[in-house]
Amino acid sequence: MASLLKEQKVKAAKADVKGKGKRKADDMEVDQHEQAPTTKKPRNKQRVLMLSSRGINHRMRHLMNDLEALLPHVKKDSKLDSKNHLNLLPELADLNNCNNTLYFEARRHEDLYLWAAKTPNGPSIKMHVQNIHTMDELKMTGNCLKGSRGILSFAKEFDDTEWGKLTKEVFTHIFGVPPQARKAKPFVDHILTFSIVDNKIWFRNFQIIEKDPLQPNGPPQMSLVEIGPRFVLTPIRIFEGAFNGATVYSNPEFVTPTAVRSALKREKGDKYGHRKHAQAERSIRKDRRKLAEDELAVSKVFA
Amino acid sequence: MPSKVTARKPEEKPKSAKAQGKAPEKPSKVQQRAASSSESDEEEAEQQDSEDEEASESGASDEEEEEGSSGSEDDEEEEDVDDEGMEKLMNALGEDGLDDFDREQLRALTGDEDEESQEGSEGEEDEEAESGEDTDAEEQEDDEEADEKEQAEGDEPLIPVDELSDEEALDEDAMPRQKVEIDNKIAMERIRSTIALDPSLPWTETLTVTYPESIDVDVEDDLNRELAFYKQALHGAQTARSLAQKHNFPFTRPADYFAEMVKSDAHMERIRQRLLDESAGLKRAEEKRKEREGKKFGKQVQLEKIKERQQSKKEIEERLKGLKRKRKGALDGATGDDEDFDVAVEDALADRPSKRAKGPNGKAKLPRQARDKKYGFGGAGRRSKQNTKDSTDSFVQRGGPSGRGGKGGGRGGKAAKAKRPGKSRRMAQRSKS
Repeated sequence: MASLLKEQKVKAAKADVKGKGKRKADDMEVDQHEQAPTTKKPRNKQRVLMLSSRGINHRMRHLMNDLEALLPHVKKDSKLDSKNHLNLLPELADLNNCNNTLYFEARRHEDLYLWAAKTPNGPSIKMHVQNIHTMDELKMTGNCLKGSRGILSFAKEFDDTEWGKLTKEVFTHIFGVPPQARKAKPFVDHILTFSIVDNKIWFRNFQIIEKDPLQPNGPPQMSLVEIGPRFVLTPIRIFEGAFNGATVYSNPEFVTPTAVRSALKREKGDKYGHRKHAQAERSIRKDRRKLAEDELAVSKVFA
Repeated sequence: MPSKVTARKPEEKPKSAKAQGKAPEKPSKVQQRAASSSESDEEEAEQQDSEDEEASESGASDEEEEEGSSGSEDDEEEEDVDDEGMEKLMNALGEDGLDDFDREQLRALTGDEDEESQEGSEGEEDEEAESGEDTDAEEQEDDEEADEKEQAEGDEPLIPVDELSDEEALDEDAMPRQKVEIDNKIAMERIRSTIALDPSLPWTETLTVTYPESIDVDVEDDLNRELAFYKQALHGAQTARSLAQKHNFPFTRPADYFAEMVKSDAHMERIRQRLLDESAGLKRAEEKRKEREGKKFGKQVQLEKIKERQQSKKEIEERLKGLKRKRKGALDGATGDDEDFDVAVEDALADRPSKRAKGPNGKAKLPRQARDKKYGFGGAGRRSKQNTKDSTDSFVQRGGPSGRGGKGGGRGGKAAKAKRPGKSRRMAQRSKS
């Protein structure tokens, strides 16, 4: 019911703001620099709507909070009620003046999928998130300014494939903090790295320390300390539109986590089946081995 | 009765979904076509883009028409429409469920095999498309299936049926089920060009750097993998700093710039505490280990000492025995060389009997000069015993403490030592003081 209400509300709001909202979104739109007056300097204007589906667990929630803390141009929204109405998301993003969306979709309270989308007209990338470590872990000892603009470091492998290039472009929009972001700080003290290993995208976040704390007067020796979070993304599909549209890329290597789990379970079940089968066979063999009663059996002779 | 109803459910679903089943099927074909015919130029793709928008609107109306059969007119509540339709169907079947059920089964078994086979294959393909899209093939529990199909409908653009030729559809039905790899490079390039940032943007707008070296590490090898990531980050940071200098962009945070950090002070304190704890734990473990080893070693030392003592005792006894044997005759004679015998015994008891020069402490005897220096030589001479005027005048008894000098020797010293008072006196003194 809540979803219906929300939907209606969104629709009503959309109808209301039809004129104004549209214009705003257009203003913000990066693609339309050609139309902007030439006197204006070109600017990278990005805003990201971040939201999750229902049913995320604490780790996923903390990951979202971490990303929100790191990216000052993120607008966090409440959880999306329905997993079947992703077409609401572009409208939601529009309402929030966002031109990017990060949507965390939790399934069965254990699998996390991440949709990274450019909202008005796509594309959208669906990825599976694994190996989540949040900033709360005490092993990550780095720290950085809240809202400082991080450097984005992409591995060379992103330029090798077409989907990699597209992903790089989208990530540049989403994870790169634009200089005009309201809460952005003027200095750079951390770096986000995206590397491709094993056809997966590995995310790391390091603090940049320019002076060795042990030798404050020595020569500046740059070193890094991990801040977190860290996670691994497996690309699944890339769609042409925002949360819809034709598939332009699908990862043939991707195996769903449920398939993995069910295979494991089946294996376990097989073990049980084999055991039971062996037991049954043994009893059959035992029966077969029984000799017919002898004519000279004790019970017959001394009847 | 309810059990029958639930049993019928899966039978029924495909039927209700069949009407919609065609819709999700279409895009998948389109996708595959797009994948196979990669030479489709960009113009066409863009055209398709605009078509999509139209189609999505017209498609929505199509959808409604299709759903009209299940009996509802509400535009927005697609989900409820289905449920309502289902409910109606259930009610209709509920009255004479058994017959209907049987009839249906019969029909399914015998009546239209063609339809069924088609349906089955369609379902399979639907599943395929969905498994691709939702990537949760396993999620397709019967209850959710209809919903997911609807989602597939909503997500993907609807293309008029006219565009699809039947032969193609049949061909695809015959295809074995497998994961379809889609890698439509042309489309991706076009999409990228639409969203790409203006290349004239200065670097400071995006702060993006690319690592020029390829990472080639074993995924399972955590240490090397993380090292590779670290190297990438370090390279990125260094290039970024030089680029920042070039662009006159503030990079380093001045020491007096304070602001809120990502991790709170309390959290950082916890991290510090943990580091301290860790190092303390390491130290403690090291100490424990040393102690344990020391204990082991100490025991060994003790054992060795005991052994040595026993050994030396034995040796001494043997030596004494030997001495006794040697001296048997002499002892019997009991002549005056007792002193010699004593020396011999001492020698026997000593560790190294041959070296007599050593003193009782094992130290070598000091040379004459040193001894003179230490103990004094010559001294007061013979006149020291003569009376002097002082000694004549004083009435101190001879043998008193002050009568002779410190050098006086044994007798005087001994007498001078005060006798220890008795216990009762001592107690009395103690209580007094």
